Amino acid sequence: VTAAAWVCLFSPLAGAVLITLLGTRISRRVAGYLSTVSCAVAAVAAAVSFLVALSHDPDERRELSTAWTWLSAGDFEVGLSIIVDPLSILMMLVVAGVGSLIVGYSVGYMDGEDEERRYFAYMALFVFSMLTLVLAGNYLILLAGWGLVGLCSYLLIGFHHERPSAIAAAKKAFVMNAVGDATMALALFLLIWNLGTLDYLQSFEHVGELSGTVATLVALGLLGGAVAKSAQIPLHTWLPDAMEGPTPVSALIHAATMVTAGVYLIARLHPVFEQADFVQNLAAGLGAATLLVAGLIALVQVDIKRVIAYSTMSQIGYMFVGVGIGAYANGMFHLMTHAFFKALLFLGAGIVIHALAGEQDMRRMGGLKELMPRTWIAMLIGGLALAGMPPLSGFFSKDSILASALAREDWWGYLLFAVGLLGALLTGIYTFRMLFVVFLGEPSAFVREHLHLHGGKEGPFSMTSTVSVLALLAAVGGFVQIAGLWHLLGDFLDPATYVDREHLALVKPSTAQDWLTSLIAVALGLAGIAIAWGIYGARRAEAPRAPVARRVFEQKLYFDEAYDFLFYRPAAAFARAFTSVIERPLIEGSIAGLAGGTRLLSGRLGLVQTGYLRTYALAIAGGVALLALVFVSVRG
Amino acid sequence: MTTALILLPLGGALVVWLLPLSRFWSGSIALLVGLVEVGLWIQALIGFEFRGGLEYEQRASWFSDLDVSYHVGLYGYSLWLVGLTVVVMAAAIAYAFWAGRDRARAYFGLMLLLTGAIVAVFSAQDLLLFYAAFEAMLIPLYVLVGVWGGPGRLGATIKFVGYTIAGSLLMLVSVIVLGLSQGTFDIPEGGTSSSNWVFLGFLVAFAVKAPLFPLHGWLPDAYRESSPEVAAVLSGVVSKAAVFGFLNIVLRAFPEPVEDFRVAVLVLATVGLVYGSLVAFRAPDLRGVIAYSSLAQMSLITMGVFAGNLVGLNGAVLQSVAHGLVSASLFLLAGGVERRTSTGELALLGGMARGRPALATLLMTTGIIALAVPGSASFAGEFLILAGVFDQGWAWAAIGAGAIVLAAMYVLRLISAVLHEAKGSMVPDEALDLRPAELGILVPLVACLLALSAWPAAVTDHSFADDTPLAQASP
Repeated sequence: VTAAAWVCLFSPLAGAVLITLLGTRISRRVAGYLSTVSCAVAAVAAAVSFLVALSHDPDERRELSTAWTWLSAGDFEVGLSIIVDPLSILMMLVVAGVGSLIVGYSVGYMDGEDEERRYFAYMALFVFSMLTLVLAGNYLILLAGWGLVGLCSYLLIGFHHERPSAIAAAKKAFVMNAVGDATMALALFLLIWNLGTLDYLQSFEHVGELSGTVATLVALGLLGGAVAKSAQIPLHTWLPDAMEGPTPVSALIHAATMVTAGVYLIARLHPVFEQADFVQNLAAGLGAATLLVAGLIALVQVDIKRVIAYSTMSQIGYMFVGVGIGAYANGMFHLMTHAFFKALLFLGAGIVIHALAGEQDMRRMGGLKELMPRTWIAMLIGGLALAGMPPLSGFFSKDSILASALAREDWWGYLLFAVGLLGALLTGIYTFRMLFVVFLGEPSAFVREHLHLHGGKEGPFSMTSTVSVLALLAAVGGFVQIAGLWHLLGDFLDPATYVDREHLALVKPSTAQDWLTSLIAVALGLAGIAIAWGIYGARRAEAPRAPVARRVFEQKLYFDEAYDFLFYRPAAAFARAFTSVIERPLIEGSIAGLAGGTRLLSGRLGLVQTGYLRTYALAIAGGVALLALVFVSVRG
Repeated sequence: MTTALILLPLGGALVVWLLPLSRFWSGSIALLVGLVEVGLWIQALIGFEFRGGLEYEQRASWFSDLDVSYHVGLYGYSLWLVGLTVVVMAAAIAYAFWAGRDRARAYFGLMLLLTGAIVAVFSAQDLLLFYAAFEAMLIPLYVLVGVWGGPGRLGATIKFVGYTIAGSLLMLVSVIVLGLSQGTFDIPEGGTSSSNWVFLGFLVAFAVKAPLFPLHGWLPDAYRESSPEVAAVLSGVVSKAAVFGFLNIVLRAFPEPVEDFRVAVLVLATVGLVYGSLVAFRAPDLRGVIAYSSLAQMSLITMGVFAGNLVGLNGAVLQSVAHGLVSASLFLLAGGVERRTSTGELALLGGMARGRPALATLLMTTGIIALAVPGSASFAGEFLILAGVFDQGWAWAAIGAGAIVLAAMYVLRLISAVLHEAKGSMVPDEALDLRPAELGILVPLVACLLALSAWPAAVTDHSFADDTPLAQASP
C-alpha cells in the first residue's frame, strides 16, 4: 500500500521538475500532457492503494511509512512519513482523480496562453503539495503540505502576473494563509513541549493527558489554520479575490481540493478536537455563520466565478458543521461530492468564459442554452447537485450533515440544523439565479457578438470530455451512501474516523430524522429554485430591490475594510515610523542623502571624516547605552 | 585537515598577490582555489565522525607562558558553518570573476585571504587565535567595501570600521581578561566564568557583527554600497561569525551570565526581528529589503541560540546555513538585476518575469525559501528556533510567528516589484535573462537550498551531541 502511495505522492513532483528543467526544449502541449500524465499516474496509484486496502481487513487498513528523518533535535525527531489509511486514501482518490481531470481540461483551456509550461509545472506541483498534505504522517509534514499548497495557490492566482489585481489577490491569499500557518505552528509547539512528539498516532494516544486549557489552545491553533485555508469567517476574504486565477485553478484549488483541507484537518485530528468541546462548537459555529453569510453574498454577485466561489465558502461551511459536530464521515462525504459538482460547475463556467472571450460578468451573458446545450446540461446537473436535489450527489451528502445536526437533539443542534436549512434555500436561489441569467432568455448583444465556438463544438475534446466525466460523478457520486440503506463510505472511513460509541451514537441520525431532513431540505431547495425562476428566469430581472442590504453584501460585509484598518494600516504606519523616526535619524546616524553628501564633500575629506566619526561614535555609544538600559531593566 | 582548509586559500592569496598574473589568470586561480576548498570540505565531511566532540583537531603551542596555542578543530556545527563559507566564497569569487573587477590581483587575493580567515574563525579553539582570525576577516572586508564599493562607499566603510572596531576592542579586552583569569586561552580547556562584564564585552562584539538591534547602524550602507558578491559574503557568511561566537564562547564559558541576561537578549532579538521585518517592508530598494531582512533573520537566529535548549540550538545552526545560502543567492540575484537595469529602486523595476524564465524561477525559488514557506529548509530552521524559544515563554514564539507573516509580506513585495506587473521604467526591453555563467553560480546555491529542504536533519542530526553542555534538556 505504502509503495503505491509513495508513487502517488512523487509522480506529480517528478512531472513538475521535468517541465521546469526541460523548459523550452518541449512544446507547450507536451508540457500539458506531461503534467496530465504525472497526475494520472498518481490517480492510478491512488486507486491501487484503495484496492489493496479493500483487500485487507478493515482494522488493518492503516499503514505508516517513513522515508527518512526530516528534522531532529536531540531525541526529538520528525520523519518524512506518510500515513495510508481509509481517510487518506479517500483524499488521495479525490485529489489525484479530480486533479488529473482538471489538469487534462487545462490542456484545452490554456491553449494559446503565454507561459503555458509554467502553468502546468505549477499545477503538478500543486497536486504534489496537496498529496503531501493528505498523506502526511505527522503534524510537521502536514504543516509542510499546508504551506506548499498555499504557495501553489499564490503562484497560480498570480499566474497572469502582469495584472496588478491578480498579483494583489495572490499576495492577499498567501499572507492570510500565513496567518493560519502561524497559529498552527504555535499549536505544534504546544504539542512538542507537552507530549514530546508530533506523530499523529502517538499524540492521539496521549492526547487525553493534556490539560483542558492546553488541549483547547492546541485545537484553536489548528482551527486557525483550517479556517484560513478553507476560507471560513473571519479569514475568508482572500477566496473571492482568488478568482483572478485561471478557471481550472479555481476549480482545482479553490473548489475541489485545497480549500477543503480544513475539513480534512479536523477529521484527521479529531481526537485532539474532541478534547476541546469549545473548539468543536466554534468550528461548527463558524461553519454555520459562513454558510449563511456566503450564501447571502452570493445572491448579489455579478461575476460568474465569484458566485461559485461564495457558494464554495458556503458549502465548506456545511462541511465544518459536519465535522464540528462529530459527523466526520458525513463531512468527508460532502467534501467528496462537492469536489465533483463544484469542479463541474467551475469547469462548465470555464467553457462559457472560454467561448465568450474571457468575459465573466453574468449581466452580459444570456440565452446560452440554445447555443451551448451540452454545457447547459452539465451545468444543470452541477446546479441541481449543489442545490441538493435528489437523486444527485449533493442531496445525499448535504442532508446527511443536516440530519446529524438534528440528531444531536439539543438547542445547538437545532440551531445548526435551522441555519443549514436556511442555507439550502439560499443555495437554490443563488445557484439558479446564475443558471437562469446565463443560460435562459434571449442571447444578449454581447453573446451574439463575441461567442466563439471551437470548430462548431462547445469546446475542445480535452475540455468537454473531462466535464462529462465530472457530470457523471456529480450525478451518481452520492449513491455510495444512502440514508437508511447503506453507508459504504462511512463504513470504509470508520476505522480512521473512529469515535467512541457513545459519541458516535450522539450524531448518528435515525431513519426518521434522515427522511424528515431530506423532505424539508428538498422542499426549501425547490422553493429557492422557484424564487430564482420567479425573479430571474421568468422576468429576467436584474436583482431584488433592497439597496442597503445589497450594498452591504456587495461590499462583503466590509471585512476587507476592517482588516485594512485594524492590521494593514497600523503595520504600515509602524513601518513608516520606524523608518523615518528611528532608523534614518538615529541608527544610520546620518545626515540626509549620505551617498550624495559623501560625493559632494569628498574633497574636504578630513572634515567629513571627523564629522562622521563623531556621529558614529554617538550612534554606537547610544546603542551601547540602550543595550545597558535594557540589560539593567529586564535582567532576569 | 582543518589547517589545510585555512592555509590553502592563504597560500592562494600569496600566489595571486606575488606573481604578475593577468586578470584572467588571477581570477582563474582564485576560483580554482575556491573550488578545491569546497572539495576539501566535502572530504572533511565524509571523514567526519560526528561524535559530538572536536574533530580534525590540531594544536601547536604559541606562547606557552600564557598557554596560548594554535588550536583548531571542528564541532559538528562548525563543520556546517565552514561548509557554508566555502560554498558561498566559491560562488562569490566566481561572480567577481565573471563580473570583472578591476585591480584583479588585489581583489582576488583579498577574497582568498577572507576565505581563509573566515574558516579560521569557525575552527579556532583558542581565544587569541579566534580574535586574530576575527580581525583578519574584517580587514579585507574594509578594503573590499572601501575600494570596490559603490558611490557611497566611503561613508559605508567609515561606519563599518567604526562599529566593528568598537566591538573588536571590547572583545579584545574580554579575551585578555578571560584568558588571564582562566590561566589558559584554550577554549575547550577553559572553565566557566561568571563575570558579567567579560560576558557583556563578548556579547556586544558579536551583537555588532550579527548585527542585533540597535547596533546595526553599519548594516544598511555596507550592504548597499559593497559589490554584490561582497554583500553576499557579508550577510551570508560573515554575520555567522557572531552565531559561532555565541555558541563557542558565550554559551560555553558564561553559563551563569547567559542565564541572567537571557531575557534581555531575547527582548533585543525580538525587537530586532519585528523592527527589521517592518523596515524591510518599507525599504525602497532591493538591497535594503535584503539587508533589513538579514537583520530580522540574525535576530531570529539569536533567539534560537539563547533559547537554552537543543531544539533552539539546532534551529539556530540550520537557519544559519539556510539564511547564509538564501541571503547570498538574493544578493547575487540583486546584482544581476542591477547590472541589467542599473538601479535597485523597486519603484523603477517590474515586469522582469516575462521572457526571463531563469531569472524569474531562481528569484521566486530563493524568495519563497527566504519567507520560510513550510517545507523549506528555512522553515525547518525557524520552526525549531521558535519551538525552542517557546520553552522560555509562549510570547516569544507568538511574536516570532507573527514576524514570519511580516516576512511573507516583505518578500512577496520584493518579488512582485521585480518580476511582476507592468514593466518598470528602468527595465530595458533588451535586458537579457540570466547568462550561463550566472546560472552556473546561482543554480548550485539554490540546489544546495533545495537539498537542505529535502533533508534538514542532515544538519540538525549532526551538529551537537545530545548531551552538549551548551543546552539544557529537550522534549
